[in-house]
Amino acid sequence: MNRRGFFATATGAVLAAPFIVTGAAAAEPQVRLRELYERDMSFTPFALENAGTRVAIEGFMAPPLKADSNFYVLTNIPMAVCPFCSSEAEWPNDILAVYAQRVVNVIPFNVKIITRGTLELGTYTDPELGFVSRVRLIDAVQERA
Amino acid sequence: MSLDLKIDDLEVRAASGRVLLSVPRLSVAAGMCLGVKGPSGAGKSTFLFSLAGLGANSSGAIAWGGTDLMVLSPEARAKFRRHHIGMVFQDFLLFEELSAAANAALPGAYSRRARQAVIARKAGDVLDRLGIAHGGRTVESFSGGERQRVAIARALAADPEIVLADEPTASLDRKTADRLIEDLVRMVREEGKTLIAVSHDPAVYTRMDRVIEIVDGAIVSDEVRDG
Amino acid sequence: MNPLAPLYRAIEWMPVLAQDITVLVVLVMPALIVGALVLVGFRPFPLVRAMLWRFRWTNALFVLLIAVSVGLGVGLIAQERGLRQGTARAADPFDLVISAPGSEITMMFAAVYLQPSDVPLLSGEIYDEVANAPDVTLAAPIAFGDSYVSSPVVGSTAQFVTHLSPDLAEGAMFADRLEAVIGSRVDLALGDSFTPAHGVGDAAEHDAHAHVEYVVSGRMQPTGSPWDRAIIVPVEAVWEIHGLANGHAPENADQLGPPFDPDYFPGTPAILVSAEQLYVNYALRAQFTTDRTMAFFPGTVLANLYSLMGDVRQVMSIMAVVTQILVTAGVLAGLVILTRLFARRLALLRALGAPGRFVFSVVWSYAATLIFSGAVLGVAIGYGAAALISRVVSAQTDILVTATLSWPEFHLVGAFVSLTVILALVPAFIALSRPVVTDLRS
Repeated sequence: MNRRGFFATATGAVLAAPFIVTGAAAAEPQVRLRELYERDMSFTPFALENAGTRVAIEGFMAPPLKADSNFYVLTNIPMAVCPFCSSEAEWPNDILAVYAQRVVNVIPFNVKIITRGTLELGTYTDPELGFVSRVRLIDAVQERA
Repeated sequence: MSLDLKIDDLEVRAASGRVLLSVPRLSVAAGMCLGVKGPSGAGKSTFLFSLAGLGANSSGAIAWGGTDLMVLSPEARAKFRRHHIGMVFQDFLLFEELSAAANAALPGAYSRRARQAVIARKAGDVLDRLGIAHGGRTVESFSGGERQRVAIARALAADPEIVLADEPTASLDRKTADRLIEDLVRMVREEGKTLIAVSHDPAVYTRMDRVIEIVDGAIVSDEVRDG
Repeated sequence: MNPLAPLYRAIEWMPVLAQDITVLVVLVMPALIVGALVLVGFRPFPLVRAMLWRFRWTNALFVLLIAVSVGLGVGLIAQERGLRQGTARAADPFDLVISAPGSEITMMFAAVYLQPSDVPLLSGEIYDEVANAPDVTLAAPIAFGDSYVSSPVVGSTAQFVTHLSPDLAEGAMFADRLEAVIGSRVDLALGDSFTPAHGVGDAAEHDAHAHVEYVVSGRMQPTGSPWDRAIIVPVEAVWEIHGLANGHAPENADQLGPPFDPDYFPGTPAILVSAEQLYVNYALRAQFTTDRTMAFFPGTVLANLYSLMGDVRQVMSIMAVVTQILVTAGVLAGLVILTRLFARRLALLRALGAPGRFVFSVVWSYAATLIFSGAVLGVAIGYGAAALISRVVSAQTDILVTATLSWPEFHLVGAFVSLTVILALVPAFIALSRPVVTDLRS
């Protein structure tokens, strides 16, 4: 992007900010983590429809595997309350890999959060962290619900 | 435009209410060189600043070519000074850190861009005529006479119709003072400007067309000289 | 709450860089608007330069005061980030650590940052259980306790060395019990031999292992962590020189590395576990959180420390901001006094007929120049201080801490400049209200 175009965008964004706030907040569909998977582990129509767009997902932040990273795991239920009441087979649909826009400030695992980001489907191996995920939120921003 | 001076019922008071200056009536024709003499503290400088619209606690009318400064707002008076009045002070009041040219062209700093160039050109021209070199050197190293010449160039730079001088020679030695007042009078006469110079110095008012004397806030004599 | 939160929410859809630039633009906008309004149509800079030069020492002092207070805030933010990044980078290879129950922090310091600590051992059965859990890609014993000069000597496996340093900087992996791979900053050369001491530091018994000599076979890449000072040897050797079984049944006595035989496994203070499947890490953490074992993510422990550190930093940042504002208020009060020194010059300008707004713009530009110079110098001072402190910390902890400047610092400085140049309108107004003729004759 050239300089002028960039500043024009930035300035335009500032001026348009009041409108975007209301517009964007209304535009992102919000679901619970469980609503991404069917019982047979296939993706729900919601997940398929919204792949590639920004969605808001409710959940909990799992204790982070990496410090000072923009990666974390979103869980359906607070991690320490019932980590393994579900069988191993159900495990993957209880967690979601999240790649945040910025380094994550950790939110305690038992506080409900809302994560907004672009939904990405399909198996992906993180080249840096080595983790494998089937579904992810990228460019995410999280806040306490 | 011919800017004759007409004063009516001018009265300037101190904050205490004491009358500092009272001029019931005075006219000065445009292009005239007027000397103002009198003892210290008699109200000469008060008179001069009033003519520039800088007086406080005053009443009456001070009209230059029909424009009564007394009814104008401070900003309008500033605008009038900017366009019509040049001023020379006893102790030069130059910006020591600036060059002669920059000091002389100071009025350009707060003028419109188009006028700026005209002012700078005029300032340089006057400096040339007064024999002041205006390279990059700051005026810090200038002698008193050179400084006052720079001040004269500053007063003339915006090409005003009126030049007001407050004790222009008081900070200079005799010889320098004589040469300076000669230069000042020559410049204003060449350009057909009105000069009003307040001074103790006989060398100043002997070169004037007309001399008034102020004592205790009142004009006590008014003498037209034939040069 | 962060007053900028709604703005960030509104521009969430932008790339991060665009967000940061937008926020900076929004923060400096008030300064730019005020500047534009004050300066439009005027060029007071030659006069401002003259005034700056006239009182250069006083001005330099004012600039320095502002710079130090700005530097304090900038340095704090930069230093905290440097510490976070450095400690996080050092802990990066350690996803999941399993040890005997105790303090997670103590264990993290021992296993990740190699700060010696006397901890109980995990048995061979537990190691076996960890190593054979599904999807575990690496289960490495970390057997610390010995040392050589200032380097900890840690027993582990070749896989662990590869985990820390995928390629060796020089030499080869240990292929024999008495070979060692050293960290990048260990003061030994390939082929050198050394005798480890039992224990670490002043408490080390130097002749306890007098009969043992390791030979350096390879050197790891720099990791920016205390492991750069460590010496890694086969865990079998550590066990043997302590007179213990060597992890393998007598018929395989020469084997090096896993699998270990639980019956001949003397124990290890900690196990590093790595699993590719994300959930497996969490599953193992739950599985080994028992009465005999403790499983933790060093990342989580650090993140909790960071959040504490962040709270402290925030309190100190508030103090730094208050300091900045107080210093600036002091400087502006000083400017009001200083403008009395300029009073004749300002009166001269007004006597000559300069518009009030021009005089106003001269005084404001003068103050704004001091503020802006102070802010710029403050960024340099803050960065310099952070760089210096980072060096000291790196030297003392072997954790590579690097100071960088990033957007939060510039946002802070932008907000500071905006706020204070608006405050600088006050001395300008005060200067304008002075009597012209009195000042002219003073």
